[in-house]
Amino acid sequence: MTTTSTTTPQVFDNYLNHTKGIRSWLFTLDHKRIGVMYLICVLSAFLLAGIFAMMIRFQLLTPEGTFMTQDQYNQAFTVHGAIMVFLVIIPAVPAALGNFVLPIMLGAKDVAFPKLNLFSWWLWVFGLIFFLIALGVGGIDTGWTFYTPYSIDKASSMGGVIPALIGTFILGFSSIFTGMNFIVTIHRLRPKGMTWFRMPLFLWATYATAIIQVLATPVIGITLLLLVIERTVGIGIFDPAMGGDPVLYQHFFWFYSHPAVYIMILPAMGVVSELIAVHSHRHIFGYKFIAYSSIAIAMFGFLVWGHHMFTSGQSPLMNVIFSIITFSVSIPSAVKIFNWLATLYKGSISLNTPMIYGLSFIFIFSIGGLTGLHLATLATDVHLHDSYFVVAHFHYVMMGSALIGFLGGIHHWWPKMIGKMYNENWGRISAILVFIGFNVAFFSQFMMGSKGMPRRYATYTEMPEFQIYHIWSTAGSTILALGFVICAVYLLHSVFKGKRAPANPWGGRSLEWQCSSPPPWDNFAEQPEVGDCYDFSVLEWNETEQGYDWRKDVAHPGE
Amino acid sequence: MPHTDSTHHDDQIGHIVPVKFLVLICALLLFLTAVTVWVSRYDFTEINIAEMGIITALFVATVKATIVGLYFMHLRWDRPFIGFIFVGSILFVVLFICIALTDSLAYQPTIIKGDTPKVTEAMDLLKH
Amino acid sequence: MFSILTSLLATTSQGAPANFWLPKQASTVAESVDLTFFVITWICYFFFFAITGSMVLFMIKYRRKGHEVVADGPTHNTPLEIAWTVLPLLLVVVIFVVGMRGYLNLQEAPEGSYEVQVTGQKWSWTFDHPKYGATQVAELTVPVHTPVRLLMTSNDVLHSVWIPDFRVKMDLVPGRYTSLWFEATAVGNYNLNCAEYCGKDHSKMFATVRVVPKDEFEPIMIKLASEYEDMSVGELPAYAINRLYNRCQSCHSLDGTTGTGPSFKGLWTRVKSGDVVFTTGERLSDLYGENTTYEVPENYIRTSIVNPQEHIVQGYLGSMPSFQGQLKDKQITAMIEMFKHLDELTDDEGNITVNPDGAPRQ
Repeated sequence: MTTTSTTTPQVFDNYLNHTKGIRSWLFTLDHKRIGVMYLICVLSAFLLAGIFAMMIRFQLLTPEGTFMTQDQYNQAFTVHGAIMVFLVIIPAVPAALGNFVLPIMLGAKDVAFPKLNLFSWWLWVFGLIFFLIALGVGGIDTGWTFYTPYSIDKASSMGGVIPALIGTFILGFSSIFTGMNFIVTIHRLRPKGMTWFRMPLFLWATYATAIIQVLATPVIGITLLLLVIERTVGIGIFDPAMGGDPVLYQHFFWFYSHPAVYIMILPAMGVVSELIAVHSHRHIFGYKFIAYSSIAIAMFGFLVWGHHMFTSGQSPLMNVIFSIITFSVSIPSAVKIFNWLATLYKGSISLNTPMIYGLSFIFIFSIGGLTGLHLATLATDVHLHDSYFVVAHFHYVMMGSALIGFLGGIHHWWPKMIGKMYNENWGRISAILVFIGFNVAFFSQFMMGSKGMPRRYATYTEMPEFQIYHIWSTAGSTILALGFVICAVYLLHSVFKGKRAPANPWGGRSLEWQCSSPPPWDNFAEQPEVGDCYDFSVLEWNETEQGYDWRKDVAHPGE
Repeated sequence: MPHTDSTHHDDQIGHIVPVKFLVLICALLLFLTAVTVWVSRYDFTEINIAEMGIITALFVATVKATIVGLYFMHLRWDRPFIGFIFVGSILFVVLFICIALTDSLAYQPTIIKGDTPKVTEAMDLLKH
Repeated sequence: MFSILTSLLATTSQGAPANFWLPKQASTVAESVDLTFFVITWICYFFFFAITGSMVLFMIKYRRKGHEVVADGPTHNTPLEIAWTVLPLLLVVVIFVVGMRGYLNLQEAPEGSYEVQVTGQKWSWTFDHPKYGATQVAELTVPVHTPVRLLMTSNDVLHSVWIPDFRVKMDLVPGRYTSLWFEATAVGNYNLNCAEYCGKDHSKMFATVRVVPKDEFEPIMIKLASEYEDMSVGELPAYAINRLYNRCQSCHSLDGTTGTGPSFKGLWTRVKSGDVVFTTGERLSDLYGENTTYEVPENYIRTSIVNPQEHIVQGYLGSMPSFQGQLKDKQITAMIEMFKHLDELTDDEGNITVNPDGAPRQ
């Protein structure tokens, strides 16, 4: 380790200090600042929803569940789900990381529509405000899925439903505009030399995600609007007492919400492609297959929504069709895993914090994806639907995979975003605690689900044999929470006291590693030309900087 | 900001639709809306085609959507490819509606007929 | 093919007890469902260990040794990539076919199945046996080794019948009939859970499926059907508290605790004296007397059961569903008698102290 002092700030002009004052942040058009604001917001919402999660876990420690009342528990899981899905995981990688990284990866000065970008962020804020209003005005206890007729029955469900629906509607637009922005940016602002198949895989993933965002999100918008109208005016579209069809709501809802889960996972997979390649210093294996698989997942994802409705009274014919197509979605995901493993083969693997998150992703996503097979299969899904098995499956893919991909991305691009290095040892400890805590918390849920424990149960007095699984699950959650707390602490610490970061600490080849850490206000003076972004042979280690540099004997592309 | 296209077609960025024209289109759409509302109240049993109301309403809706797409969404003056993208997204709508309808048709026999108390209530209110 | 697989995976033999993943098998379809489950699970084990094993192996073998090393490995291998796309595809087709067979089995109830009509409502289950005219609440008695078909609907919101030991599940949709069928293979009691979130007491919406020997079934049903019809007024309270109270249980306690609805303890005293205030501000006592709403207190109770929204007691939200059509007149009379004699039927903690036939409970 070098002893040249890198803690005395040699502050050069960068996007963080280019202008000062809260207004220059809240009304900025700079994609980097918008990305940082999103990051802060998303992580705060994560904390809030995480607190509800811990409340849920404490309630379930005993079969009688005396920590909360039934009503409070129902609110807790509803709010936990709604905030996590709409305010945290859907925006996480695209908006918080994508906004920051995408234009720089393209060597561009900004996204195609910077004002729309700012507007997207403000819409997120308004969405949050409506959720908080919903909590204040009666609360919501319908489940994040807002199934009818319960959600239109004013006598039984709580009064915060309409503000929550409006908030979600607004968040939908935040997502749509971000998607639109990214599609145009990737189409139009690519630099010289960056053909489609020269793009970093993170951009392929973001592009596929953006397509889903633009195509699918309007459907949830309409659905929620219909639900609001049904609840206020009673038009009778979902209410059977008016001749409506409650199962139709489920079709509407899941037509968006299934592609939504691919919005959550695809960008995280894009991050993992970058992590694995950079931190094993090896050209990604099977670039084209990974790129195509992102598009395939996006397309197939639109055809499988009925697998959430196998026991809802959906006709057996439809069940069979949806089941077959659902299996087809598993193949592109499997292909990615194999490609990542092949990238590790003959690599030079550095087990630093981002890599640990990347490897955790592979482990956890394998389990999550494989248990999806049990749920895609009709005979077993009849038994497993609405049990803890499903809860475990989606936490494995949404939290253990999407969120861990997000954390990996944060750690990978933290030096670039903030200009400081975090404490690597604490980073590793935290990543390992998150990994262990997560698996303990959620693996036990697979077992109790298949054994008969239903989900959304505040108490389980008739089934005390499940208590041991719940105890394991709560213990795991506590370890997980500890991991997150440690992560927050050292990341915050690094903002103020971290070592100055070099431009390229990890030896990445994509364009964002060729500007300073943090980047200057306008990213690049001119758009640079690019070569193969996974060819690391052009880099060499610079001991004084503690980072990687372009080799002096190799020309930059275009020179 | 990035490269600008040096070729010049009349479907490039730069074609501005006159405000008067847009207002005209808006007025047309409002008129068609009025037609839809009138049709919903008119009793068509005289012509012996009871579904005439629905057929007219759907037809008018299609016309309106086409007008919105062509003029408000600028497709009339855009490259054909943009139109393909728009039509492509309609495919998703068709997919969704087909599957949802196929499903609900399949379970029609299991619906409990006449179990719609609120409808009866509403019809009573309308009659008085 | 099935039998080969069964013998290989011995955990799935008929009537198998609970194991690491699944509860005991107690129905005819459970065997094929479990077989499917284990086929998938073993495929998962294989892939999981292959993936994780390779990952750990590579982590160790290809550990970075210094800053200068740049790795040099293959960037693509088309035959390999095609292979690992096509082979999993074939595998999932196999899984799909195995799963579909089990599923189609679950759909078609055999001819001549014994029919039970199920009504779910917030938050209790009612099982009607049309063949015998008997009704059960929170408990479903069925004969063993007999196909049983449940024809189900909901009175209010979505519910779902899940009997884990039978591996069956189907949602109850208001305004529509849904159905499921099973054939129990062993005498015993099994849990029936509500598996679709339906509001406050979703976690308490239980029933027990009692599977009895074939020859015992019919006598039980006949007894149930006429249980209260021949009863004298004095026998009704014991019957009501054992057979009817179940459907009130989730909202109305017996020990004085206020729940979604008022406790039944001391209810009759309050109602008799009219000492109840409604959300409209009216007092119940004002509604008593000749030529007014309720001539006698019993009429108020009757109305509260069949039309609970008529008068809502202050301090409550009025979420009680109507029991119109679900309780015969004599059963409502039984409820009223139960209220009148509640002190003799329960102890201070709200535990029921008599059996349906009136004998004291141990």
